[in-house]
Amino acid sequence: MPEIFIDGVAVAAKDGQTVMEAARDAGVYIPGFCWHPQLSVAGNCRLCMVEVEGETGGWMDIACNMPATRGMKVLTNSPRVRERRKVMLEMVLLNHPVDCGVCDKAGECMLQDYHYEHNGAPSVSTVPKVRATKFHDLSSRILLDNERCVLCSRCVRFTREVSRSHALGIVARGDHSLVRCDEKRSLDDDPYSDNVVDICPVGALLSRRFLYKSRVWYLQKTPSVCPGCERGCTIDLWHRKAEWRLNALDARHNTAIERVTPRENPAVNGPWICNKARDLPDLLERARAEGPMLKGRRVAMAEALAAARQLVEAARRPVALVSSWGSNEELAAAHAALAGRFRCHVKADHAPRPGERLADDLLIRPDKNPNGRRARELFGEAPPALEGADLVLAWGEGFDFADVPRGARTILLNAFLAPENGHADAFFATTLQTERAGHYTNFAGTVSAFTPICPAAPHTVDAEAVFAALAVRPRVSA
Amino acid sequence: MPGRALLMDFAVTPTSHRLADYRARGGYDALRKVLGTMKPEQVTKEVAASGILGHGGAAFPAGRKWQVIHLDDGQPHYLCANADEGEPGTFKDRWILEHAPHRLVESMAIAAYALQVRHAFVYIRGEFDLPYRRLQAAVDEAYEAGLLGERILGTDFSMDLVVHRGAGSYVCGEASGLLTSIEGRKGYPRNRPPRLTVKGLYQRPTVVNNVETLSNLSAILAMGADAFRRIGTPKSPGTQLVSISGHVARPGVYEVEFGYPVAKFIHEDCGGVLGGRALKCIVPGGISTKVLTGEEIAEVTYDHASFAKAGSGLGSGGMIVVAEGTCMVRLLQVMVRFYHHESCGQCTPCREGMGWMHRLVDGIVEGRGRPGDLERMELIAMANDGTTICGMGDACGYAVTGILAKYRDEFEHWIAQGRSKFDGRLEIGEPEAALA
Repeated sequence: MPEIFIDGVAVAAKDGQTVMEAARDAGVYIPGFCWHPQLSVAGNCRLCMVEVEGETGGWMDIACNMPATRGMKVLTNSPRVRERRKVMLEMVLLNHPVDCGVCDKAGECMLQDYHYEHNGAPSVSTVPKVRATKFHDLSSRILLDNERCVLCSRCVRFTREVSRSHALGIVARGDHSLVRCDEKRSLDDDPYSDNVVDICPVGALLSRRFLYKSRVWYLQKTPSVCPGCERGCTIDLWHRKAEWRLNALDARHNTAIERVTPRENPAVNGPWICNKARDLPDLLERARAEGPMLKGRRVAMAEALAAARQLVEAARRPVALVSSWGSNEELAAAHAALAGRFRCHVKADHAPRPGERLADDLLIRPDKNPNGRRARELFGEAPPALEGADLVLAWGEGFDFADVPRGARTILLNAFLAPENGHADAFFATTLQTERAGHYTNFAGTVSAFTPICPAAPHTVDAEAVFAALAVRPRVSA
Repeated sequence: MPGRALLMDFAVTPTSHRLADYRARGGYDALRKVLGTMKPEQVTKEVAASGILGHGGAAFPAGRKWQVIHLDDGQPHYLCANADEGEPGTFKDRWILEHAPHRLVESMAIAAYALQVRHAFVYIRGEFDLPYRRLQAAVDEAYEAGLLGERILGTDFSMDLVVHRGAGSYVCGEASGLLTSIEGRKGYPRNRPPRLTVKGLYQRPTVVNNVETLSNLSAILAMGADAFRRIGTPKSPGTQLVSISGHVARPGVYEVEFGYPVAKFIHEDCGGVLGGRALKCIVPGGISTKVLTGEEIAEVTYDHASFAKAGSGLGSGGMIVVAEGTCMVRLLQVMVRFYHHESCGQCTPCREGMGWMHRLVDGIVEGRGRPGDLERMELIAMANDGTTICGMGDACGYAVTGILAKYRDEFEHWIAQGRSKFDGRLEIGEPEAALA
């Protein structure tokens, strides 16, 4: 544990730490584009230059590659350091187009922040800027603006060290250097590719999903959990702030998930998520079921609940198919209401899609449902079986009416619009993860919380409320 | 010859680069002596005692570099000869590779024995054709004669020598960029720490020495460190191969003993400035060293201390002679075009700064210069001073500030008048036939 001094304050650095890591641990922020805690040290932006006081005058070097050695006295804000940072930012901005007005990164751009903090002056350059490719297709998901790129190589190192697709590299040299795809590999084959958009310190890498969709300062982020697989990555859902509600324009933007980013969580996903999480809007913003129905006839909620309760009371051999997309709270309510009365099986709501990566050693897990572990803990491991049932209560997607025994009645709970919704004797439109709070337990038993981003859609009901209404005491034999 | 000779001690003939001729001159005797009578530590000690400085440009004591390698650390060690001679104005290693390739091979075998290296590499500049063919032929000859490969000269020592051709990049001449290039990746220089002698090629301890530095070893081991120290000056022992070019009557490669007067070397050994003109300045050791004016070199002797005192350095020994009447703006334009072209693009200040510098000087030459351009150039030089991974940013800074400090009036004249202070073609005749 070497003790070093950062700006005169004693800091206990861990063995093998660099000055950059020790400083960040101690709450001292040293700026830098290329350094990322999860990636190797590239040391190419040269912005983290710090001064080390020595007996024969100070020397300067980059903090990100400087081993913390006992007694070292580091200055992170000396006049020399400030001068270096200023001139380094002058260089970074030399060929940068400064098109913040049309840049998606504006508002969360490291270059913007650093420039305001450490330079703030107009460029002294008088020569024309180097022109480079704009809107270069790196993949079907990601665009690259080479003029904005500061060549920090974070994206390149990400594809080499984290996602291991080795899809990106830097071609040419000097101020003609360009980030490009490998000739033989495609970034489309990298299921983690969109992380490079997050770790890009500037607006060079752009997500097609988010391109020109919103300014980030109109958005707020709400903690949530990705339901794409049993990893249960913690994510942030970005949606429009209430004070920036759109009234005249397309009101769908008020409830829409504008983008999804990882919420750093060392216990589950670190700072990464896969592209499936980025595409959550595709999953969660499908057409919704319209409301409670009895055999396809829209009815009031009370009428539907009463009819369903009658079905349950009349049933002799009821079977429940429990959703592995239910939250811990819903599963508990289902268990309290149904267990004992119903034979319960856990159903996989979603199977892997064609072409989807099944599993890897980074994040992606084979079970494509978020809460299968908790559901199986409550309801057992037995696979769904409907033989002999006279009432089937099916909760969630992935349910096929063809499996229902002839003559059996059906109660269906589903959030999304589907043709079979109308086949059920009683149907309830349930709320979505984005409309209620709850928790998922991932495959390793880690519990993560999600919170609502918008009010529930009209005529929907929490599954918990349905289960509470259906709670029937076991029939007492006469 | 300017002083005593160590490397250019034979007459170049059509066969002088062959093994038979080299053996007739006493070649491979040093290797036989080393393998037969000395322990590896003794060799390193001898090299350290000789005080030989690196001839690639940085003048780091070779012995001190070697002493960092622990022979008993249980790791493989690597040895690389840096033959990626790319510094403009420098072509001395080329002479060794073309005319004395066996000297390099023998010296590398000695160095490999001292450092207990099994695999040694020569990273040779991709543009070198004849030097590559001559070196590869020499390596093949040496393998055939049992001077390389398994059980060299019947001893227990084995080593392999691989000649690796570069693909054309100045930065690959930087030791760590060179190793990265050998590993098959883009020749980006690496951050220090770790030093290459701790983690170099394939993350193992590696010694990278210049071709000329290595080639001196066979002479050092043959004559002994004490005899070697008696050549040159106490602080700069030995000789330097100087490749002299530019406005000089007899350009070429000369072996200069350290401590030899520079003015005498230029005016007598090399026949003076072309066309009998006055000497405006010299670029002493490749364009990355600061220029010295004709007056400044009057009393300077060819050794590190004397050049440091004059405010420059020997660099890689590539001397460029500039005659009076030469426009320094145009000279600098050529230099910064080179730096712009060769910047690897890794570090921000060099990547952006070299291009900016080039465009600024181009602007001045094309009559678009404006007041403040020189200050901008100095700002770029300042931004590159000690801030980049390798020394390339600094080198360009030295070149620019060196010329600006001494010839600022020429730049101001061009900015103010829109034309060179030295308009018109510089007619100074043809050089005489080069020596050797």
